[in-house]
Amino acid sequence: MYIVEMGTLELKQTLNGHRGRVWNVCWHPNGTCLASCGEDKTIIIWGQQDPKWVVKTILTEGHTRTIREIAWSPCGNYIASASFDSTTAVWDNKSGQFECNATLEGHENEVKSVSWSCSGQLLATCSRDKSVWIWEVNDDEYECAAVINAHTQDVKKVRWHTNEEVVASASYDNTVKIFKEDPGDNDWSCIATLSSHTSTVWSLAWNKEGNQIATCSDDQTVKIWQEYKPDNEPGIVTPNNESVWKCVCTITGYHTRTIYDIDWCKTTGLLVTACGDDIIRIFKEDSDSDPHQPSFTMVCSMDTAHTQDVNCVQWHPTIPGQLASASDDGSVKIWFYNE
Amino acid sequence: MTSRFSGALQITNLDDFITPSQECIKPIEIQKSKSKTGAKIKIEEDGTPFVLNEAGQSEKLQKVEITLADCLACSGCITSAETVLVTQQSQEELMRVFREKISQCESKNGVYSTYIAVSLSVQAVLSIAERYSLDPERALNKLAGYFYQLGADIVLDMTVADDFALLESAKEFIERYKAAKGGAVNQLPMLSSSCPGWVCYAEKTHGNFILPYISVTKSPQQIMGSLVKYHLAETMGLLPEQVYHVTVMPCYDKKLEASREDFYNYERKSRDVDCVITPIELEQMFNEHNVSLNEIHEKEVGKLVESQMKDFKNNLCGHSGSGSGGYAEFILCFAARHLFDETDVTVEFKNLRNPDFQEVVFQKDGQTLLTFAIANGFRNIQNLVQKLKRGKCPYDYVEVMACPSGCLNGGAQIRPLNNIQPRELALKLESMYQKLPQSNPEQNSLVQNLYKNWLGGEYTDKALAYFHTQYHEIKKIDTALAIKW
Repeated sequence: MYIVEMGTLELKQTLNGHRGRVWNVCWHPNGTCLASCGEDKTIIIWGQQDPKWVVKTILTEGHTRTIREIAWSPCGNYIASASFDSTTAVWDNKSGQFECNATLEGHENEVKSVSWSCSGQLLATCSRDKSVWIWEVNDDEYECAAVINAHTQDVKKVRWHTNEEVVASASYDNTVKIFKEDPGDNDWSCIATLSSHTSTVWSLAWNKEGNQIATCSDDQTVKIWQEYKPDNEPGIVTPNNESVWKCVCTITGYHTRTIYDIDWCKTTGLLVTACGDDIIRIFKEDSDSDPHQPSFTMVCSMDTAHTQDVNCVQWHPTIPGQLASASDDGSVKIWFYNE
Repeated sequence: MTSRFSGALQITNLDDFITPSQECIKPIEIQKSKSKTGAKIKIEEDGTPFVLNEAGQSEKLQKVEITLADCLACSGCITSAETVLVTQQSQEELMRVFREKISQCESKNGVYSTYIAVSLSVQAVLSIAERYSLDPERALNKLAGYFYQLGADIVLDMTVADDFALLESAKEFIERYKAAKGGAVNQLPMLSSSCPGWVCYAEKTHGNFILPYISVTKSPQQIMGSLVKYHLAETMGLLPEQVYHVTVMPCYDKKLEASREDFYNYERKSRDVDCVITPIELEQMFNEHNVSLNEIHEKEVGKLVESQMKDFKNNLCGHSGSGSGGYAEFILCFAARHLFDETDVTVEFKNLRNPDFQEVVFQKDGQTLLTFAIANGFRNIQNLVQKLKRGKCPYDYVEVMACPSGCLNGGAQIRPLNNIQPRELALKLESMYQKLPQSNPEQNSLVQNLYKNWLGGEYTDKALAYFHTQYHEIKKIDTALAIKW
């Protein structure tokens, strides 16, 4: 029998500042500050004044409706914000304070998610209009490089590969799709469709190596997908010389409501989930886990982490165990996981 | 089911996401007497809805029918639900019309009321030629043979309409250019209008900001519509509504264009184009009816005017420039000649960030006088629109097509067989197109003849009415019900 060593999740601080629900939090790449956004159409940048986190800046007037998601560029000088007003704004810090210097228009309606590629040269956005857009960054000009109509429903999340120019999207059509540029015509096309979830896929996270993806869904499960490249060891067939993605693990029986978000820690390999049952859960891959059939154990379950739906969770980029969460209850919380 | 509409239309929700029954906001007119208690509706076991009237009797509720024109005029769901298209613009409807025609002929001793005209576009003919390994001219004649066999009275090629579209666009450009130099706003860049996917997207998404820039010249399909319904019909002694006009086009979006109210004559209850059929559908028709195109008897295409094309051996013609009809190239050369007296223009397109965004300049004495571009595919339409919005659009004219690679890669062209990439197939069709004999609109005697004898000149009201159209902003309706998290 496997003995589970449960860790504890310690609340470091509750950050109150938003009016209404908070949709998303994002750590600065060097971990010194945290951005959050929500229903109140503002972005709050929080910084640490030892030992407390305090409001550093509030960005307003960039959007006319809810801000659904924010993303720091890898260089840390830009923030992209995706809004229900159908635009994506890019804020830059050149003058010493953040200003909105570009607005990306084109989506027909609510933009749900935005993500920077590892190089910072590409942005991806997705929308209720069912499309995924790729934008090229050239000297603060943003040009549309592709409009991908691959999903049949609302697209909830876009996330770039950890270190390649490959992007994955999760949708209300129950699938995750992976896209790559075709060098022939510089257009982007779908190279893999991950289907196994039985309801909306709300979010996804790449592992550190970029060869696994964790997805979370309205079907109350988390799934782990493994990439099999051409000529892989187990001999999985790869048609057209493209990688094949297989669901190698389903984490089921823990979550009692929709799982809205998931993050994969690049330093510890821990998974954290945000759930509609107000609980934050942490999962750890078993030490004797078979790489082609991995198994995960829940090592922490924080009841009433928030008083309402937890919308977002994100691991700190450099401090192992630290994470931030955002909720419908209007608060952002900073936690520390002790093994 | 994957949509056959262009990407531009898919993004504007013209797809199967919402079927009419779910969220259609078209107001329904129900003829019923007012009751104080409100209606009681009962659904029978088979799903038929009944309304209970005050006397307690049940009446069957009428089914709501949504026409394509309803969808086009609305900013609501905009559904392509095949059912909507199928009723008016399908191969089934086309076959029904042909069958009806044949039964009319048989029962009334050859006296019949419907005259069927079929117009073939060059892009669609090339798709068929490639699919059935025929040379283009033979493909044209086989298709003519097929339609005559079905019961068509005349099968025409659309070169004359292509030529009119080019000439009218070029003349419009000259006017806009001069107006812009005279200080008028919203004249340039002139944006092409022959792609209905692009026009529909512009109307729905960018409205009055972008519409003034779009050329008011009708597309070749709709010019052909005018020629068939108002010239051909007249010469045959027929009324427009007695002619059933079928076009064979490379693109599904053309069905929407044909359904526009601007191309419907309320007085005569006649549409300029009654039915649009595409190569994909033709392929299905051949398969379903066990037709082997290779065995079809070849027939010559008909002539709009008896004296037409005496000096022409070939009927299928292309134009210099892009496979979408060569708009940018023709207008550039025309403008260089008429505005700057330059007859010797070398047109060299340069690829910009991708092969679907090309630019060409006209220079004289080291000075750049005209800058034209071709923007194909939705991503390039986006960048063009954003450039315009930021006031950073350097172009005088842009040929805009919603499909990547333009019309030869239209959304309803026959899909490549085996593992060939769509772009490869488009290149193949492109090279076939370049090898076709080229029509020169300014030297087409039929064009001159029609200007003179039918329209009474090039700038008459009649010419404007038959060759020009207008666009309409469609305002977005934001209903709380439509919000989804």
